Amino acid sequence: MSGGGGGVAQQSAHSLAFRVMRLCRPSLHVNTSPLKFDPCDLLFGEDLFDDPIAASHLPRLLSSQSNPSSVDPSDPSYRSRFLLQHPTDSLGLPGLLVLPQSFGYMHIHTCSIFNNALDNVLVEAEIQTERQRILLLDTSKSPVESIRASGRYDFIVEHDVKELGAHTLVCTALYTDGDIERKYLPQFFKFVVSNPISVRTKVRNVKDITLLEACIENHTKSNLYMDQVEFEPAQHWSATVLKAADHSSEHNLLTRETFKEPILIRSGGGIYNYLYQLKFSSPDNAQLKVEGSKILGKLQITWRTNLGEPGRLQTQHILGNPITRKEIELHAVEIPPVIILEKSFLVSLNLINLTERVLGPFEVWLSESDSLDERAVMINGLQTTTLGEVQAFSSLKLQLNLIAIKHGIQKITGITVFDTIEKKTYDSLLEMERLISILYFEVGLFCGATNANLIFCKITSYQMGLRMFSGPWIHLWTTVKDATRRVPLYGRVSIL
Amino acid sequence: MDMPESPPPQPANSSPITTAAADATDDPLSSPYVSLNSHCHELSTLQDLACRGAWRTILDKVARSRSLSLLSKPHEHLIYLTFNLLSLIKLRRYSDAQQELQTLDDDLDSKQYLFESYPDHYPNHKAGSMVPFALRWLHAHLPLTLGDRQLSLDRLYSLLHFIRDKKLPQNRDSISEVSLTLWKKRETFVVNTIISYHLSQKEFKVCLALLKAEISKNEDPLLVSQLGYVQMQYGDLDGAKRSFEAVEKMVVGSESGDVRLKNLVSRNKALMYLVEKDYISAVREYEECMERDESDFVAINNKAICLMYLRDLSDSIKVLESALERVPTVALNETLVVNLCSMYELAYVNHADVKKTLSTWIARVAPDDFDTSFIISKMHRYDHLPSCLEMVRQKFPRKSLQTVHLACVFLTTSLSTWKASNGEASETDCANT
Repeated sequence: MSGGGGGVAQQSAHSLAFRVMRLCRPSLHVNTSPLKFDPCDLLFGEDLFDDPIAASHLPRLLSSQSNPSSVDPSDPSYRSRFLLQHPTDSLGLPGLLVLPQSFGYMHIHTCSIFNNALDNVLVEAEIQTERQRILLLDTSKSPVESIRASGRYDFIVEHDVKELGAHTLVCTALYTDGDIERKYLPQFFKFVVSNPISVRTKVRNVKDITLLEACIENHTKSNLYMDQVEFEPAQHWSATVLKAADHSSEHNLLTRETFKEPILIRSGGGIYNYLYQLKFSSPDNAQLKVEGSKILGKLQITWRTNLGEPGRLQTQHILGNPITRKEIELHAVEIPPVIILEKSFLVSLNLINLTERVLGPFEVWLSESDSLDERAVMINGLQTTTLGEVQAFSSLKLQLNLIAIKHGIQKITGITVFDTIEKKTYDSLLEMERLISILYFEVGLFCGATNANLIFCKITSYQMGLRMFSGPWIHLWTTVKDATRRVPLYGRVSIL
Repeated sequence: MDMPESPPPQPANSSPITTAAADATDDPLSSPYVSLNSHCHELSTLQDLACRGAWRTILDKVARSRSLSLLSKPHEHLIYLTFNLLSLIKLRRYSDAQQELQTLDDDLDSKQYLFESYPDHYPNHKAGSMVPFALRWLHAHLPLTLGDRQLSLDRLYSLLHFIRDKKLPQNRDSISEVSLTLWKKRETFVVNTIISYHLSQKEFKVCLALLKAEISKNEDPLLVSQLGYVQMQYGDLDGAKRSFEAVEKMVVGSESGDVRLKNLVSRNKALMYLVEKDYISAVREYEECMERDESDFVAINNKAICLMYLRDLSDSIKVLESALERVPTVALNETLVVNLCSMYELAYVNHADVKKTLSTWIARVAPDDFDTSFIISKMHRYDHLPSCLEMVRQKFPRKSLQTVHLACVFLTTSLSTWKASNGEASETDCANT
């Protein structure tokens, strides 16, 4: 390195210098392997004390040696670095504090380097970011009277960093030393501020419950202890946090209290998820679903690092999925319990007007899906049903005569309601799934008491029906021939 | 040789001797447990040297004893080996320690380390292992020093199982009460070592689980205090407060008057004040501790730190310096000295001189295992700075000086400590910015 030692000579311009130290909290020193031992473990074989003779003699030998509580300052013995006073000493956590080595508050002072005493020193400290300048300290009203030669003036400034990106701490001093003129010394300290955590949210709607999932990721180099993570809901919203049930079976109150599982997010990329259940409750029931309810609220996050060093973050407004205002609703009132293939059935529906104005008249039909093959259920009869007007906040009943053309579990879907005045189409209002059954049955013909042989001829006709309480029935007309003649037979079968 | 400590045998018709042990021995003078040296060649000297921190002397002594073949019995060799190993590890000569360990059989349970394998040497001896327990621990710890933390952890957990499965379940008839207590202490010792390993890697949840298990077995105020420190370390201040309150209840309830426990409670209180930034109350608590016990170096160190946060830098330095003068054998602790050096750096422009004085004094007084590496590295950091600046200035003549600052600071210091260099910004430079 060329020019070594030339640094000192260049200081002649100023008699003053700023020294800055960041003053975050100290930390507790952890000493892995303090290497302290109980003399019994070192001087004797591990099983020696099994011998009762040894067990009675040896402790006496050691008692004089290992009594570290009586420390004589003139005793040049470092026995406390060697002898174990208590078995828990091997944890290496005596509660000793160590000064921090990284950024926190600014502890600044000016040092006078040379032999001149300095008078009338005006010190100023300010933080500059891309967007603003914040004054942290200004002694212009009460300047430092003097700093003696090789003396010091200390001050601490505190600043809550709220912006990201490059920051500059500018320290300036205006002073008079031995010369007549006032000298001006600025010093600049740069540092970069980045995001300690990032929060990702997901909103899901399940019926009328909104679920908010928040994922917190730690970008710092230390573990973060989540002190408080709270969701502050917006107006008309209420939030409850959903947590896994606590199955700890701690009987000891001390351990249960002191051992509440802490939420610690690992450094350098660890994550933790929170789940909130949000409910919308408007005091005015008429205003059921307001359009502007997109804003759900904000997350307030407070964390702590070593020795409780706090950090805070508030998220932006979290937006929910937009809830559209519902104007009409369609409910199924009555559907037959059993629907048989190719037999028409009646469905009773209720159309509810949720608005405060009169809606209608309506037209109802079953919308056409892609192809004829796809449709499972069709309207039996006139394809479009007309409905009259529906008053504000009231309802109207209608009946649809449907017929199923495919069996199995089918969807009755595509019921479309069209407002003829407002020219608005509402589809996807109602969807039902039902089992469309085909009835198969076996009919057995039994020979009665006659001696004649009967020959079964054919089923001439049949009739099927459905009774509400006794269920489906079938009537069969058959002809049966015996040796001499044909006999019509009539039977009735109920299917249970 | 130490004098025998048990009374000489009484004639047969006098009152019986109360100690059961004396009944068992015919002639106390020939008992191997009369003194340390009768158990093992010059053992008391070794013990004394270890207490004084004279590890290099121990190494010499062991080497000499071996070369002059002064050790006759197998257990003496093992004890000397253990001391040798410990000395090497204390002196941070880890690869030498590894070599020493390799002279042993990898399996410490092998027959060659049992008393019964040497009937000639130990004619009436009770059977058992002659391995000092510390050797097992050192064998487990050494891989960590050589960089293999996982192996150390595995060995420690195996050691823990060894204690729990083989030694503790033994029934009272076969071993004495003393031995059982000793094994329980060893178990706590190993568990705490394991917790320390996890703590240094910030694996807090494991630490909590282990501490919880230990505390539920035995609610020791020291252990619960340490739980409080762990909670503070990751930031759970409410949890720490509860732990410290529990400790206070335990200590107040016991009425033992033990100064150490009283000081423990005071120090815990002081820590709580400190996190609330009530440094004045913290200082008061630490002063009470120092009145009760002037060698409480934790209180001394922490008081100095509180004074620093109160911006009383000169007093904080005085506290540490006077402690080093008054009670050097307890105050000479690496952490305390690190803190003192940090304070020197803030206080003095020419701190390099002050630190040199300190390190000279330390070299004279400190035990062999005192780690001075950090003081030296800190000193060099700032010696390099002016020459670095010059080098950067030559490379980037047009850049304004704060980027030069930045470059230098990044070059020479670890990013964690930021300091201003002195007086480099001149009027021309402030015109640039």
